[in-house]
Amino acid sequence: MADDKDVLRDVWFGRIPTCFTLYQDEITEREAEPFYLLLPRVSYLTLVTDKVKKHFLKVMKAEDVEEMWFDFEGTPLKWHYPIGLLFDLHASNTALPWSITVHFKNFPERDLLHCPSNSVIEAHFMSSIKEADALKHKSQVINDMQKKDHKQLWMGLQNDKFDQFWAMNRKLMEYPTEEGGFRYIPFRIYLVNELMGIPRIHDSDEIPSKR
Amino acid sequence: MVVGVGDGVRGTHREMSSCFLDEETFCQCCQLFLQHSHSLCDGWSWQQVKGSEEGYLRKTTLGTGRTRCNQDQQGTSSDQHQERTFSLSFHDDDDDDDGAVCCIQEESSSVVQYEYHILYSCSYQTPVLYFRASTLEGRSLCLEEVWDSVHPNYRQRLQHRPWDTITQQEHPLLGQSFFVLHPCRTEEFMKPVLKAALEEHRQVNYIVTWLSVVGPVVGLDVPLSYCTQVPEPPHTPSSSPQPPALGTKPG
Repeated sequence: MADDKDVLRDVWFGRIPTCFTLYQDEITEREAEPFYLLLPRVSYLTLVTDKVKKHFLKVMKAEDVEEMWFDFEGTPLKWHYPIGLLFDLHASNTALPWSITVHFKNFPERDLLHCPSNSVIEAHFMSSIKEADALKHKSQVINDMQKKDHKQLWMGLQNDKFDQFWAMNRKLMEYPTEEGGFRYIPFRIYLVNELMGIPRIHDSDEIPSKR
Repeated sequence: MVVGVGDGVRGTHREMSSCFLDEETFCQCCQLFLQHSHSLCDGWSWQQVKGSEEGYLRKTTLGTGRTRCNQDQQGTSSDQHQERTFSLSFHDDDDDDDGAVCCIQEESSSVVQYEYHILYSCSYQTPVLYFRASTLEGRSLCLEEVWDSVHPNYRQRLQHRPWDTITQQEHPLLGQSFFVLHPCRTEEFMKPVLKAALEEHRQVNYIVTWLSVVGPVVGLDVPLSYCTQVPEPPHTPSSSPQPPALGTKPG
């Protein structure tokens, strides 16, 4: 892993310049200025946008504020996808800064997961880590780690601490060749044209027999 | 006996009573389950993704749930509110500047529509239960309301490890928000059951057994006749223990 350190650092410290604009139909007491932020690629929208919320709350009344959510060109942004992924999927062909619209009303219940707190983001993140380890090491590494190790992994991500994060993550990325390495390599493929499409589902009385 | 295939390959010892399910056996168990459901008019159907072999079992029911009144008038963005997500006691947040917090509202029992999906997880090699709930007016229930609807008998067990239990996730095939009972503990309860069945030469349909454990936690009833009437899929001799070719799915 030592040779990869530069690459790991470059990936970790990747940033996307973003401009947050309040949705025009939100009720404000005075005009809201856009807010600019450098978003870390390897994090989650709801984890890094407290400043955005505070900024817009200054011009809004409490009763007009519900759960914050974001859209890009009309598409609600799924906070549980890493920021870099969202950008690559939706906006990689557009000019920087990335223009995101901020909403405080009409949360799209069907499309977006709720995110009432950081514990939800932590739960989601750890769930992905666990699932990946189920494929890599049959969950042995993640289950052998203590609760405080899990916490350190999460805190490293939350607080943007590369060394703290990788001190724990390297255990999950261990590839002991004498034991056959990873059982399976976990990866996810996101198809751009499937993103807004709903897969066509039909009722079937018969379950097809396997290949 | 349901045995996960394709893993004795690296010389690691593998117990006969594996608690894992390969996808083909999953489909076979579902098919047998479905046949019994039709005979009972229990409402399950198989939903197939067009152009793929993937699909899932689906059922909708009407039940009662604990819902909040005046949901729309609250600000759910309060940070104080969030630590309560996995706790069932409600605190007074009078000094919260952001305004009203949902936990103070009175709850009532009302009619709730539940939709259950049973999917296969390749990562965990187990079935997974997804569900969503909405009022008859079409309002989706939030996680707290779903928690409140869980039978008191089960609440304590679920409270132990918040991030192992009911969370909101994206449905892998539909891309929409659903609640999920996390599958990573499935092994713990399936293992002893499958082991005992093997020793006693009893038939076990994985889906029936698994659902009878997880279903009731989220309001899904599994009539007893499933356990007596639904057989195990015929056991196919496992393929020779070669490592799966690169790029193929496990199992």
